[in-house]
Amino acid sequence: MNGSVVNIGTQVKRGSAELAILSVLADGPLHGYQIAKSIERQTRGLLSFNLASLYPLLYRMEKRGWVKGTWEGPVGGRRRRYYRLGPAGKRRLVPLREEWGQLFRALNRLAGVTHA
Amino acid sequence: MPDWREIARRRLTPLALEAKRQEEIIAELADHLEDLYSDLVRQGKSEVEAVQSALSIAADWDELRREIQLVANEEVIMNYSLGPAGKRRFKTLWLPGACTIALSGILLRLLQIPSAPSPHVFWPQHDMPFIIYWQWFVCLPLVGGIGAYWSRHAGGKLLERALAASFPALALMCFPGLILPFMLVFQWIVHHNPPLVPSALFLLGWVVLPEAALLLGALPFFRGDAGESRPVVASH
Repeated sequence: MNGSVVNIGTQVKRGSAELAILSVLADGPLHGYQIAKSIERQTRGLLSFNLASLYPLLYRMEKRGWVKGTWEGPVGGRRRRYYRLGPAGKRRLVPLREEWGQLFRALNRLAGVTHA
Repeated sequence: MPDWREIARRRLTPLALEAKRQEEIIAELADHLEDLYSDLVRQGKSEVEAVQSALSIAADWDELRREIQLVANEEVIMNYSLGPAGKRRFKTLWLPGACTIALSGILLRLLQIPSAPSPHVFWPQHDMPFIIYWQWFVCLPLVGGIGAYWSRHAGGKLLERALAASFPALALMCFPGLILPFMLVFQWIVHHNPPLVPSALFLLGWVVLPEAALLLGALPFFRGDAGESRPVVASH
């Protein structure tokens, strides 16, 4: 029982983080720090990433072809690794949004949970 | 300004990664820390406070190391089982090729059931009669076309499309291609009369003509770039 609770929690966390990253990258390429700040700003601080939660997820998403990271620049004297949506990420974003919409609607019906 | 690369390297390494990949990760994390530090300084923190805050806000380094290693290990396992080129070739060659073999095999099997039309048999009294399933030949261009179309759709190059379409003929060639030379030598030693003509006809009927029929069907799909046949791409 406890194991499944942890599993659901992890999956929900990872799923929501993936949706957040894909959503901000849908507006254009960003480097890691910009991704984290953009998500934090757009969710008014409700969702925030640190290095440990952001970069392993980005690398995993890159491996799946959802995002593509390329070194660009120098920008401000530094080369930066920018991430943009890959074809698989663009395809994934639509059903992911729909799935999360359904989840929120279901939770709303169940317990009166509404969108943030 | 602290040396963020050195800080990231010290806290993150050793990682069981290629040196180049490890340096890329360190550089990327250092960039993140530097941005965070600069933001904190802009917000009015002293440099010392900003460094401490950046390091504490930024990461659980043990978790970060563990997670990065985990992702890298998954990659190693995937690449070991089927490397990137292997994965591509699986989609562009082996999968469509297996499909054409399966289709041609099923068709041939259907034509061998008792109620199916009889094949045309040349020299039925001979040791190696020449059997032709005309209906099978008629279907082979369609099978070859499916193989080549699938391969092109998956991003296959011209050679991969041709090979994917040709799998049934190639498989048939492998069997007699290996057996026939031994058989001919054996016949020559024992009877001094190897069945050259029947062997040639066998190859013609089961390898050369099927190959031609398969390639005929594949021909329309040799044109165009890989992935061109995708309706989504074509419609835009």
